[in-house]
Amino acid sequence: MLQYLELQALYFNKKTNKMNLLDVTSGTWTITFIGWGIVFVALVVLVIIFTNVPKIHFALRERQLRREGKIEKDETIKLGSITGEESAAIAMALYMFQNEQHDEESGIITIKRIERRYSPWSSKIYTLNNRNF
Amino acid sequence: MLILVAMLIGLGAIFNIAEMSAANSASEITAASGLAQFWAFTGFANATVQHLIMIVVGLFFIFLAVKYDYEPLLLIPIGTGILMGNIPFLIGYKIGVYEEGSVLNYLYFGVKQGVYPPLIFLGIGAMTDFSSLISNPKLFLLGAAAQVGIFATFLGASALGFTPQEAGAIGIIGGADGPTAIFLSSKLAPHLMGAIAIAAYSYMALVPVIQPPIIRLIIPKKERLIKMKPPRAVSKTEKIIFPILGLLLTCFIAPSALPLLGMLFFGNILKESGVTERLADTARNSLINIVTILLGLTVGASTQADYFLTTDSLKIFGLGAVSFAVATAGGLLFARLMNVFLKKDNKINPMIGAAGVSAVPDSARVVQVEGIKSDPNNHLLMHAMAPNVSGVIGSAVGAGILLAFLL
Repeated sequence: MLQYLELQALYFNKKTNKMNLLDVTSGTWTITFIGWGIVFVALVVLVIIFTNVPKIHFALRERQLRREGKIEKDETIKLGSITGEESAAIAMALYMFQNEQHDEESGIITIKRIERRYSPWSSKIYTLNNRNF
Repeated sequence: MLILVAMLIGLGAIFNIAEMSAANSASEITAASGLAQFWAFTGFANATVQHLIMIVVGLFFIFLAVKYDYEPLLLIPIGTGILMGNIPFLIGYKIGVYEEGSVLNYLYFGVKQGVYPPLIFLGIGAMTDFSSLISNPKLFLLGAAAQVGIFATFLGASALGFTPQEAGAIGIIGGADGPTAIFLSSKLAPHLMGAIAIAAYSYMALVPVIQPPIIRLIIPKKERLIKMKPPRAVSKTEKIIFPILGLLLTCFIAPSALPLLGMLFFGNILKESGVTERLADTARNSLINIVTILLGLTVGASTQADYFLTTDSLKIFGLGAVSFAVATAGGLLFARLMNVFLKKDNKINPMIGAAGVSAVPDSARVVQVEGIKSDPNNHLLMHAMAPNVSGVIGSAVGAGILLAFLL
């Protein structure tokens, strides 16, 4: 193919300023259509695979859950039963619940007694002036 | 400032005459001849009009980035690189990007040998969430449809008299993917790489200007209002399987695209595996930033006036503009065609077809903006990201195919 194209290039490399599709060689047309076709085929293969991967994944998951007894025999997991928006709403609700938990306090005020060992360095008696006013 | 530079160049010409006459009349080095020798080394003495034109182009890039926020992460390094590459100098002192042994030449090695683009793809993979595409795989097709830009430009370039290899390298501008354009042109037509890279990045930066009129022209108002079903939640297993299967399938079909697609999916595996967060973090932040700096600067510097200002470059810029328009139109028309076959509750908003070009995330952002203009409650960003990332895969596959045919 390369040699063929090189020959075409030698014949064709005239660098005119006019665009003329009639001057385009058959090799170029072939590359254009086959190339674009292959891009399509590659991505169609991905479409087919990724349309089926979730189905296989959910079927396997369903079988596992049934084996573990987490779902009934006639119960099925529906593909795409939870949308991204619903997931986002659940996540937001959980986030807000956890954040707002902080504000729900008991309202009982206690004094926590802190006991420290005596040290002359922090003793109040040495830091105040012992003056009798 | 440019007038001042022009005056100094004129002064330089007078100095050069003085220098020649001084050399003829006296053999010993005087202060005047020393100054004249120094003058001969300065940029003022070596500047040409072409250098000044390129400096204006570089300043324009920086202006676009600063004033309009058009792809500043790319246009600032490229614009500065254009300034650096077009400082006039005497050849033979290891200064220019094309001079063996110069610092810029060492940095340019990564561009010339196609090292930087795969590293950029690694970072893109580590920052891309493919969930929207996994949840609605049929949107892959829009990414494929928009690649018509690559092959139409390939035809156009051939019709303009470029060799098949040159036409292939120019065609990839239609993929709207800077790193892919650099990768392919470094292999197929290294002499055109500067023009191709600058055209690709310029038009990528101008996506918000190029795409909206085409969208409004092709998509009727009624269809712009279509609301798409929200994408389903995607499980972690699916997200891990996607890059692994994607890597195997696409690279088996187009092995020449392995450096790009391999790194893209590798980056995504780092992100989605959930156990290599440190590596993913480096790939999507530090690494991609470093490579973007080096890539932008050296691509900019490669636009040395004497290499860049040719009629071929002008043709490449013209073809690039057409290719972006064709790619956008291809995606939009295919989206409308898809709607003919889709059920009523499953229809897609055809505007997302414009995001099939792989300018991530600019074209998806354009679709979101246009969607909101038509209906303020219609948010299309997530839906548009699917064809957008599919476009990245599609353009890399397209590059691989052109390499296989033409290398």
